[in-house]
Amino acid sequence: MSDEMSAIFREELRDLLESLEKGLLDLKSRPTDMGLVNQVFRDLHTVKGSGAMFGFTDLAAFIHEFETVFDRIRAGVLPVGPEILRLALAAKDEIPGLVDNEPDPDGRRDGILAALVGLMNPGQPPAASAEAGAQANGQGPAPDLPAAPSGPSHLRFRLSSGAFAMGARPEILLDELRGLGATEITADLTELPSLDRLDVEDCWLGWSMSLPAEISAQQLEEVFMFVDADWSLVPAEPAAPAPSGDAVAETAVTLHAPPAADTAPPPAAAAPPGAPAREKPADAAGATVRVPAERLDALMDAVGELVILEARLTELARENRDPALITTAEQITRLAAGLRDATMTMRMVPIRSLVARFRRLVLDLSDKLGKPVEFSVIGEDTKLDKTVIEKLADPLVHILRNAIDHGMETQEQRAETAKAHVGLIELSAEHAGAEVLIRVRDDGRGMDPARIRAKAVAQGLISADTILTESQIFALVFEPGFSTAEKVTELSGRGVGMDVVRRTIESLRGSLEIESKMGHGTTVTLRLPLTLAIIEGLLIEVAGERYTLPMASVQEIVELPADKAQPKKSGDFLDIRGRFVPFLRMRAMFDCAGQPGPEQNVVIVMSGENRVGLVVDRIVGTNQTVIKQMSKLHAGVRAVSGATILGDGSVALILDVAHLVGMGRSQQEPQGREVAA
Amino acid sequence: MSKTVLTIDDSPSIRRMIVMTLEEAGYKVIEAVDGQDGLNKALANPVDAVITDQNMPNLDGLGFIRALRQHPSGKGVPIVVLSTDSEDTLKTQAREAGALGWMVKPFTQDKLLAVIRKVLG
Amino acid sequence: MRLQDIKRDRTVTVVTMALGAQTLAIPAPLLREILDPLPVTRVPGAGPHVPGVVNVRGSVVPLADLKHVLSITNEGHDERRRILVLEITLGGEAAVVAISADAVHEVTTVETHLIEPVPTTAQAWPPDYLTGLYRGASGFVLLPNLEMIFANLANQL
Repeated sequence: MSDEMSAIFREELRDLLESLEKGLLDLKSRPTDMGLVNQVFRDLHTVKGSGAMFGFTDLAAFIHEFETVFDRIRAGVLPVGPEILRLALAAKDEIPGLVDNEPDPDGRRDGILAALVGLMNPGQPPAASAEAGAQANGQGPAPDLPAAPSGPSHLRFRLSSGAFAMGARPEILLDELRGLGATEITADLTELPSLDRLDVEDCWLGWSMSLPAEISAQQLEEVFMFVDADWSLVPAEPAAPAPSGDAVAETAVTLHAPPAADTAPPPAAAAPPGAPAREKPADAAGATVRVPAERLDALMDAVGELVILEARLTELARENRDPALITTAEQITRLAAGLRDATMTMRMVPIRSLVARFRRLVLDLSDKLGKPVEFSVIGEDTKLDKTVIEKLADPLVHILRNAIDHGMETQEQRAETAKAHVGLIELSAEHAGAEVLIRVRDDGRGMDPARIRAKAVAQGLISADTILTESQIFALVFEPGFSTAEKVTELSGRGVGMDVVRRTIESLRGSLEIESKMGHGTTVTLRLPLTLAIIEGLLIEVAGERYTLPMASVQEIVELPADKAQPKKSGDFLDIRGRFVPFLRMRAMFDCAGQPGPEQNVVIVMSGENRVGLVVDRIVGTNQTVIKQMSKLHAGVRAVSGATILGDGSVALILDVAHLVGMGRSQQEPQGREVAA
Repeated sequence: MSKTVLTIDDSPSIRRMIVMTLEEAGYKVIEAVDGQDGLNKALANPVDAVITDQNMPNLDGLGFIRALRQHPSGKGVPIVVLSTDSEDTLKTQAREAGALGWMVKPFTQDKLLAVIRKVLG
Repeated sequence: MRLQDIKRDRTVTVVTMALGAQTLAIPAPLLREILDPLPVTRVPGAGPHVPGVVNVRGSVVPLADLKHVLSITNEGHDERRRILVLEITLGGEAAVVAISADAVHEVTTVETHLIEPVPTTAQAWPPDYLTGLYRGASGFVLLPNLEMIFANLANQL
């Protein structure tokens, strides 16, 4: 059983133990309350059953006697008394140790068990505990059968008349028997009533067949586990001919295929006497097809190429002004868009797939650090591209660790506040436009901006007189080399830091921000694009080169006023509906030679919380941008997040708005150590 | 259309295990926390198979099976009973109530899948 | 590729190319294709060593300027300019990179005993960047250590 599963069980176990303890304590004051007895029994029963499921066999064995006591109480055989409750509570206290495989050198557990057994059998020595946890393997006694025959055996079975109502599917059964090597399968229709008396919900069918000698009764027991059928297995005489003279053979029909696929068939339709059975292909594939992830990647690549070629075709069609070609190109555009959407949808995976391991992590950390934490997850079904999901795991682990290790107060510190005894860590995911927002919120002590600032100054990340907003100060924790952990704990404060988290998120074309309030907690928000492969882009031109800006960050486009055409010494601002928006000249940022034309445009983008204008020569238009990764040789060019191939075959770089703005600002103020907005 | 399985169990971890295993295998899974909840959900949704626990608050597994089989839409739905009890009495009772078969806890993911394939094809 | 690695075989097949007045030899196994000049998209802020990218059959491939990397003066002719697409190992992974050549001369087989180490004294090139050199028909031919060059370029940024 996977770790994730056992983590889920541990979580459930905590609730169960809480309920169990409450039940036992309540029984002290209300010993005759059968509702309480039943509840305690059910809790124990679930602990045992689930424990065994998830591999805690010692636990299951231990609970067994404990459960039996309450089964007796439930049956009215044993009264609830103070001694039983004392032992029960002591036994309950042993459960966490059993789950954690703690040794029991003093034999305390055996002592409790023996005492419990003693209560049930006054005056008798305790029962051997070896039997205590025995979990039989689900096999009822097999029908009496002759010893294993040497030749092929003959199997005959008949379904009960109510078998169809119970959901029995003889065709599945026959398939399975065929898989075991059954041959000469014949249907026995002798019991079938005439059509006017036939109730299609009843079953009147039987079958007979030959089976290889090595098929045991146990194997058949497995086969018939889900069918209410009378069956018998008899060894056939090696030389004996097939039973041809009896009633079965006269009306027998050889079946080549399962009689039907989806619903239990009316027997008459399944095998009309005398007519050959209908051949029907088995409905084996079902409706869901599992596809290896690489094939999805390959499909996405192919769709990407198609979108590029489609752009090329559209451009050629326009150049040639051939109406027929233009129409065809438009149709292909539509088809490519549909194919693109379908492919991207296929790649979407719910965030749920990540959450199980987080539960375990939170639980473990909470235990290890002695900080009781409740972990709640909202929006588990929110879907993201599978590549994003895969890469998201490590950053989220890091953020969750930080939340518990640094964010959460110790139990004692928490007791001094008005907060609940148990801390809260909440992971939520939701769609917001073309983005997914993932938040990790804790109700811990919050971040101290003064302390972070002091640390950043001490570590030389900022100078002492740098003016920063609170959110800019919080963003400092994402800087390489920043750590406020006063002592390196086992869990965090060493190895990868928050800068790695930021780099990973940015490599996914996402961003992250921190909000925090002293004494109230911290929220880390990750903004991620829905998909990595294709984005809506705004194609712009600067000094003859074309670039793509992600549409998601574009807010509006305005003309650059003539009086702003030339750079000024003082800051460049635009007045947009009464609000000042700073702008950056892309020609200057990209070190372009020559002069821009008389009419320049300003693309207003959102960079973090700020609106910033980017002055470009020309807006080319919007396009479907198939993202190609830049090589490692250009990994350091952070203003460029990727590249795409345009319809004419040329390459346009995809700009990373946040880094572009950061770069523009640091160029404007070469002295100040600017924190990226 | 993927087949829908209703899992009724008061243990979240067993439900979770069943959901994870079956969803992985491409089934749609509906969860219910006890027999009453299960009955409501089985009657409100088209369900292709049911896996139910026996010992549950409100309405136990046998009670659920009997109630479901009385509804026209509850006929023909294969029901598998889960229990830690390996006694024949429960198996017989479950069959009489209208269950197709049973599966004894603890079971592995492979066993669960094998059983569901056996029931649903 | 180190000199001793090359010398393990008796001969090595190379493609010779011109950069300015200098001739370079590129091991043929690294070469994927030779292309006519392509439109180059400049990458702002990328520096002079790998100033841009090109579209090689739908892939965006970085284009390195070895003239800059090896400090070779620009005296060559541009008329027979070519782009060499190479497949090298970069950070443990296969990577496709392109280099510009002022001209591509020939594919030839060189006997490895003729290849000498680069003298450590009085040379303009970073020593790590050259595997060795041999005497060709018209002067010295340099064997650049492409793996080392590109590994360093990847780390510079």
